[in-house]
Amino acid sequence: MHISIEKKKFGEAVHIVSRFAERKSTTLPALASVLIIAGDEGIKMRATNLETGIDLKIEGECATQGVVALPATLLQHIASSLTEEGIITLEHTGDIISLTSGTGKSSIKTVPYDDFPSIPFPENPKNRIVLPGVLLKNLFTSIASCASSSTVRPELASIYLSIEGGILTAVATDSFRLAEKKVPLSNKGTQGKFLIPAKNALDIAQALPDDDIIMSFDEHQCAFVSTSGMLVSRLTNAVYPDYRQIIPKESIVEAVVLRKDFENALKRTTIFSDTFQKVRISFDPKKNSISFFARNADIGEASETLGAHVSGSALDLSFNHRYLSAALALTSAESLSLTAAGIGRPLIIKGVGDTSLLYLVSPMNQ
Amino acid sequence: MDKGNPRELWEYVLTQVELSISPANFNTWFRNSFIVKVGEDGVLYVGVPSQFFKDWYLKKFHSLLLKIVREISYEFRNIEYLIVKDEHRKPPKENKVVRGALELPLDEFYINKSDNLNPRYTFDTFVIGSFNNLAYSAAQAVLARPGITYNPLFVYGDTGRGKTHLIQAIGNQYKKNHPSQKVFYLTSEKFVVDYTDSVQAGTANRFKDKYRHYDLLIMDDIQFLSKKERSEEELFHLFNALHDTNKQIIFSSDRAPLAIPDIAERLKGRLASGMTIDIGEPDSESRMAIVQKKAAMHGIMLSDEVIEYLATSMSGSIRELEGMVNSIICHAQVKGSAPDIAEVRQSLRSFTRPQKNISVKNVVDKVAEFYGIDEESIYEKTRRREVVRPRQVIMYILREDFSISYPTIGTKLGGRDHTTVIHSCEKIKREIGVDSDLAKEIQNIRTLLV
Repeated sequence: MHISIEKKKFGEAVHIVSRFAERKSTTLPALASVLIIAGDEGIKMRATNLETGIDLKIEGECATQGVVALPATLLQHIASSLTEEGIITLEHTGDIISLTSGTGKSSIKTVPYDDFPSIPFPENPKNRIVLPGVLLKNLFTSIASCASSSTVRPELASIYLSIEGGILTAVATDSFRLAEKKVPLSNKGTQGKFLIPAKNALDIAQALPDDDIIMSFDEHQCAFVSTSGMLVSRLTNAVYPDYRQIIPKESIVEAVVLRKDFENALKRTTIFSDTFQKVRISFDPKKNSISFFARNADIGEASETLGAHVSGSALDLSFNHRYLSAALALTSAESLSLTAAGIGRPLIIKGVGDTSLLYLVSPMNQ
Repeated sequence: MDKGNPRELWEYVLTQVELSISPANFNTWFRNSFIVKVGEDGVLYVGVPSQFFKDWYLKKFHSLLLKIVREISYEFRNIEYLIVKDEHRKPPKENKVVRGALELPLDEFYINKSDNLNPRYTFDTFVIGSFNNLAYSAAQAVLARPGITYNPLFVYGDTGRGKTHLIQAIGNQYKKNHPSQKVFYLTSEKFVVDYTDSVQAGTANRFKDKYRHYDLLIMDDIQFLSKKERSEEELFHLFNALHDTNKQIIFSSDRAPLAIPDIAERLKGRLASGMTIDIGEPDSESRMAIVQKKAAMHGIMLSDEVIEYLATSMSGSIRELEGMVNSIICHAQVKGSAPDIAEVRQSLRSFTRPQKNISVKNVVDKVAEFYGIDEESIYEKTRRREVVRPRQVIMYILREDFSISYPTIGTKLGGRDHTTVIHSCEKIKREIGVDSDLAKEIQNIRTLLV
C-alpha cells in the first residue's frame, strides 16, 4: 500500500475514527485499531468496538492498494502532533508501515487485521429517513445526558427515538427527570421507533457531518449514511415505558421567569445546597415571585427571590439542583415556564416560544 | 453432560472453543453468548448481543461450532443465531445511589408484551369481601389445580366490580407459580380484530396455532362476541382444543353466559360448562375496606369518619369509588395533610349525582318510550299486562330515585290510592332481587333519565 493524504484531513479523520475503537486493552488487538483500506473506492478508515462502528472516506492519492491495521491510540498521538501544512505519506512493506511527513519519518508495526470484524449494515432497511446531520447531532448531544448512566435498566440508558407524522421525537430519562425534544422532518412518510444506547449516540453525534444524512434502522441495528461514510450502532432491544402517562395533565401553579434570572439565582443558591443537592422552589402568586432556598447545616443557607409571572396557588417543592440546571442546556429560549401539578408530582419546564422541548423533573421528598 | 440442558451443553462447547482460538478472541466473542434453546428439529439457537456478533459468528465460528456440536450428537442439524433482548442478559450488579429524589413512576406503566398482563393487578391489592369471596375461592382453586378443577372459569358481574382485576391477578399469580408456562390475556374485542386481520392476510392457520399453545388463556368481556359469528366459531374450536388438552381457560363478562344475547347455543353451553360465578355489589364493609386499602397504597391515612362517608355516600361501582379516593388523595397532597369530613364533602360534590327535580311527566314519557307503549295509557285505569308493569316501574323509580311521597305519586298517575303505589313499589323491589332482566331494564331506564 502506498497512499498520500493532506495532513489536516488525515488528522481530522483519525480524530473521528479512533473514538470508535475499543479503549479497553483486554479484548482483541484488532478492536483497538483503526483499519486503513486503500482500494477501488478510494481511501477508507474503519473502527469498531462491537457496539458502534464507523467507515469513513478520506480524500487522498492512492498509488498502490492495500489494507493495514494500526493501533488507534498511537495514530491519535501522531495525528495530534502534526502541525504544519503539507502531505503525509503511508507506505507499507511487510509488517511495517512508514509514515513520511515533511522531513520526519516514522515506522510503525502493524496489527494483524484478520480479526477485524465486518461492520454490519441493517439487513432490510425499509425504515429510512433523510435529515440534516447537524439536527441529529444537536439532538443527541443535548438529550443524551438525561439518560441513565447505569446499565441496570438498558432501556433507560438509551435514547428513545420515534418518527411519526413527520416529527422526530427523542426522549431520555433516568427515572428522576425526563427530557423530550421534537423536531420536524421534511419527508413525512416514514414511521417507526427505536432505542439507541445513549453512550453510542454521543459517539455518533461527534462524528456526524453537518449536511444531509440518511438514517436507516431495523430491529437490531441503525445506520447513518452520508457522502463521507457510514456510522452504525447496535440498538437497545427492550420496551420503553409509556412515559406520556407520567406527564401531569393538570396544573395548580404556573410561573414564567427570565432564563437569565433563573440561571443566576440557581447558581448562587446551589452553593449552599446540602449533600442531597437539594434546592427548594417556592411559588408565590400574591407577590408574583418565585424564590430559591438552600440550606447546608455545615455552611449556612441562602435564598434568592426573583420576579416572575405566577398564576395559580402557592406551592413549595424541592429538587436536586443538577436536574434543574440541566434544563437550561436543552433550550435557548429567553424565558422559561415552570408548571407544577402539586406536592409529590413532577414539575414541567418548557421554553417560552420553544414548543420542541418538554422537561419533566421529579421533586425530592419534603 | 446432559444434551438437553442448554447451559451444560454451552459450557461444554465453550471448553472446546477455548482450545481452538486465542484467548483475546474467546473473551471478545464468547463471553456474552449462550444457548437460548434447543429446537425440536435439531436446530440449536445461540443468543448473541448484537448484529456485529451475529455476522462474525456466521463468518468465522459457524463451522467450528457446528463441528463441536456434531461431535456431541448427530441430532444437531444446524445452528442459528438470535440477537437477544437486553433484559435477558445478566445485568451487572450495581449499587444505586439514593439521592432522596422521588422516582418518576415509570414502573407502573409497563405492560408485559408477551402475555398482555398488567403487573399492577395482583392478589395483594385485591380486597376480598362477602360479595366476591366465592369468586376469590374459585380463583384460588383454579390456581391450585389449573385446567382440572374449574375449567372454564366464568366470572361475571356489573362494570367496575373487579372482574378484570381478579382474572389478571390469576394470570400474574399463575405466571409466578409456573414461570415456564405460557399465559395470555386478551379482550374478546382484540380476539375478533386479530381474527379478521388474519383472515384478511390469509394467515388463518397461523392464528389457530398462535392461541392453541397457551397454557392459560384469559379472555375479558366475552359479551362483545355477540353477533360475530365467525369469531364465535373460531373461539368454539379454540375452546375445544384447549379444554381437551386440560389447558385452563378463564372468561369474564358483564352477564351470565346464558344471558349473553346473539351467541351460538353450543358456545353458550360450553361457557357455562365449568364454574360460573358472579361478583355482586360490594357491601358497605367491603367498600370501606377498599377505600382504606386504596388510600393506604398512596400513603394516606383517612379517618374512620371519612372512610365511612366515602363508602356509603354513593352506590356506584368500585371504579367510581377509586375515582373519589384519587381525588381526595390529590387534595391531600396539595394541602399536605389528610382531609377531614367537611373538606371531603366539599371536594366530592362533583361526584355525587345531582338530585334533579325532574317532572313526573318526564319520567312517564321516558318509561313509556322504553317499553314502546302509549304514555296516555299509563294514566288510564286499564289493567292490561303490558301497561301494568311499566306503571309499576314508574312508581318504583319515582319513589326510589326521586323520593316523591306515595300519595303524590298516586294522584299524579291518574288518581290512584297510595296503598296501590306502596304495593307496586314493594312488588318491583322484590322482583328485582330474583329477576336479573328486570334489574337490567331498570338500570337502563335510569341511564335514560340522567
